[in-house]
Amino acid sequence: MQNPDEMPARIAAFLAQQEPEWRDIEVVAYEVMTGGYSRLLGKAHVRHAEGEEVLVLRGDPPPGRSLIDTDRAQEWEVISAMGGHGVRTPRSRYFDDHGTHLGTRALVIEYTASTSFLPYAAAGGSLEGLNIKLADALASYHNVAVTALPDRLERPKDWDSYIGHRIDEWRRTADAHVEDLPILRYVAAWLDAHRPPEVPLTLIHGDFQSANLMLADDGHFEILDWELASIGDPREDIGYFKAVAQIAPPDLLDDAGVAGFCERYRELTGLNEAQVNPVTVTYFLILGVIGTVRRLLEGGAAYSRDENTLLASVFNMNSVVFGGGMWISASKQLEPILDAMNSRSMKGPN
Amino acid sequence: MLSKPTTDQILLGIARDLREQVLPYVENEPARVAMGMIDQILRNLSVRAVNEIAWMHEEVAALAFASGRDAGSPTSLQLADVVEWYGTASRWLSEGIEGAYATGDQVQIDLWRALIEARSAHEQAIMGSLDLVGRG
Repeated sequence: MQNPDEMPARIAAFLAQQEPEWRDIEVVAYEVMTGGYSRLLGKAHVRHAEGEEVLVLRGDPPPGRSLIDTDRAQEWEVISAMGGHGVRTPRSRYFDDHGTHLGTRALVIEYTASTSFLPYAAAGGSLEGLNIKLADALASYHNVAVTALPDRLERPKDWDSYIGHRIDEWRRTADAHVEDLPILRYVAAWLDAHRPPEVPLTLIHGDFQSANLMLADDGHFEILDWELASIGDPREDIGYFKAVAQIAPPDLLDDAGVAGFCERYRELTGLNEAQVNPVTVTYFLILGVIGTVRRLLEGGAAYSRDENTLLASVFNMNSVVFGGGMWISASKQLEPILDAMNSRSMKGPN
Repeated sequence: MLSKPTTDQILLGIARDLREQVLPYVENEPARVAMGMIDQILRNLSVRAVNEIAWMHEEVAALAFASGRDAGSPTSLQLADVVEWYGTASRWLSEGIEGAYATGDQVQIDLWRALIEARSAHEQAIMGSLDLVGRG
């Protein structure tokens, strides 16, 4: 997928097999794209007798060049399921399950002409009302019934065991690293001591951040990159969005936006104010990032052991460092509020 | 050995030259992203080169005091020996914070959390400002 001389012919042959009714298929342009650290990306402009297409290829890097390992088949099934439920995401088109045609296991989705949200915001685009649109985007897939999701996604037993498992992931991540990480053990202990009210488990995106959002002409968000999707606590996506926004602004869930967001999200999902509020958003700002933290640390550990030579593995350790400062600060701010809330709930109504 | 220019000076110089002399001539986008990462990593390394041995010693001393243990000294001042010695004290920090939460003793929690904050402050100083090059 990284070879622009070779790919047009490969793609044309693949499409000829996938779309036997298309005639005179020609890939008139192919370019390698950036935008993510984990997968190879390419954009193909295809012309044929029946029309034109712009397609995006997402494929696995070669062995030893993969920052994180995720399953293209699962991603394919999730994207296809989302399209079937009206979630705004580029439509899935084809899947080269064995990489025989495209050179690596890859899925093909439609290119979206919508605007990348981060450059839009960096250029001073209006953020007015986007906290509400963010709630719409999240609720659109959090509301998809778990029974309608691909069987490949693991179903946790219940919320309590799930959240306990997620908290333990901080400890397991610390255990697996190449050196002791007291900050992870602190976070685990703190999260355990301040658990929020439970909610029904749903599909979660797993990497819901501004870099994976596009802004359509009608002002709604489109969501990209479902490779880390799983079933979990939907508030993890909300907290994760806020966490990444601290590194890559804008934060649509800042003091001005979070209350309106929570209200809209509750309205769309039926969750109550004890379950979704600015405090639980911040709790999940911490908890929601562990999957990413684990993968980043695995990359750094592999580099340390000479098992990979990826520059990004070293670079990404800075994100963990940045997170460390944020987790400590957030936990200290939340602690008195959560303690007061728990104290009130233990006393019950007067 | 020649100690000047210092390691941190050289690392910063490499970063500057890559940024000013090389990057303007790089057109391939993935290569530009890699250059952005290299620039930040070199600047991180310059701070580490200046401080890491001293900061590890300072942290170990504080952890030994908090845990009431004798940290001794590293086998040598070679980086690998200091890192190994520091690793032992890091385990004390992990045990300290976990033990504090297990008992719910707020004084102990505050004590060990302050030590984690001190470590985090060093890490933030090494990181400087974070720019997620190539995202979005």
